[in-house]
Amino acid sequence: MKITLVKKILADGSPCKKCGDVLQKLEDGGHMSRIDEVLVADERDPESAGLQLAKTLNVHRAPFFVVDREGAEPEVHTVFLKFVKEVLEQEADEGAEAMEILADNPDLDFI
Amino acid sequence: MSAVLLNTVDIDAKLQNEPPQEILRHALEQFDNIALSFSGAEDVVLIDMATQIRPDIEVFCLDTGRLHAETYQFIERVREHYGLNIDLLSPDGNAVRKLVKAKGLYSFYKDNHQECCSIRKITPLKSKLLEVDAWVTGQRKDQSPGTRAAIPVIQDDRLFARPGETLTKFNPLANWTSRQVWDYIRAYDVPYNALHDQGYLSIGCEPCTRPVGPNQHEREGRWWWEEATKKECGLHGSNVRK
Repeated sequence: MKITLVKKILADGSPCKKCGDVLQKLEDGGHMSRIDEVLVADERDPESAGLQLAKTLNVHRAPFFVVDREGAEPEVHTVFLKFVKEVLEQEADEGAEAMEILADNPDLDFI
Repeated sequence: MSAVLLNTVDIDAKLQNEPPQEILRHALEQFDNIALSFSGAEDVVLIDMATQIRPDIEVFCLDTGRLHAETYQFIERVREHYGLNIDLLSPDGNAVRKLVKAKGLYSFYKDNHQECCSIRKITPLKSKLLEVDAWVTGQRKDQSPGTRAAIPVIQDDRLFARPGETLTKFNPLANWTSRQVWDYIRAYDVPYNALHDQGYLSIGCEPCTRPVGPNQHEREGRWWWEEATKKECGLHGSNVRK
């Protein structure tokens, strides 16, 4: 299994806050060693590896994780806590996961 | 790009210009195990359209426990009018109890609406969507004034799919305006929530919904005290005549 993390650099050159938070949580949880590759989606550079991967996988939000398992389609995870639970197989707070989903997907406000 | 993803993107390109009825027809032909999400508001048009294709379409509704009395009455009316078994999903009682005990009944006025909505809506929605292969929403591009991006009419729903499987989400009303929705409701005499006649354009839970005034966007009737709403709907200095 190969895990790739794509983090974002904003158009003004500053790092994306949420990406920083996720990286910190990975460090704090001792999970960084499980991330095989970190790519940067640099909004200043359409050719950046992270943006290219996002385009290929039709992902419009960062950070996101791509999990490649042999013989299977790449899995894309845009919800950090869901990734922690399903891929890293760690316990994650259900309520916090739901809040993360809603924060990242305001269209769900109208369901 | 994976075969599944390429297929969804390709189908979306073809369906973007189709009317909602055709998108629904496609959805119901492709999936047996599909459910339609009903908010108790003007998305009733989807029920009207869908029942003409599949009379026993599965419909679910998120009963947050804080809906208006008119909305509960309307859900019941829709159930009877279309002869449907509407699956009413309630939040986990213990999670609600914990939130109310810690923060009271109106925490969203001080924090924001996300904690309460995540307990009362998102978590039950997550559980429901684990049961289906596809779902239909009444989401429209014009519901958020700041949104310029197109909303797909069909998309691969990675958020709520069962681990290792796919979930397809259909948004047949994505490119319809509120005007088109209401033209349909009136043309076909579709039942609608009585709150709409009291100035409510968008309807959610009672504490977080209010009627809007002339020329106000419907978004201003939801969570109006929050910064995000103010940013989306507020006057921008460059647009104000001095």
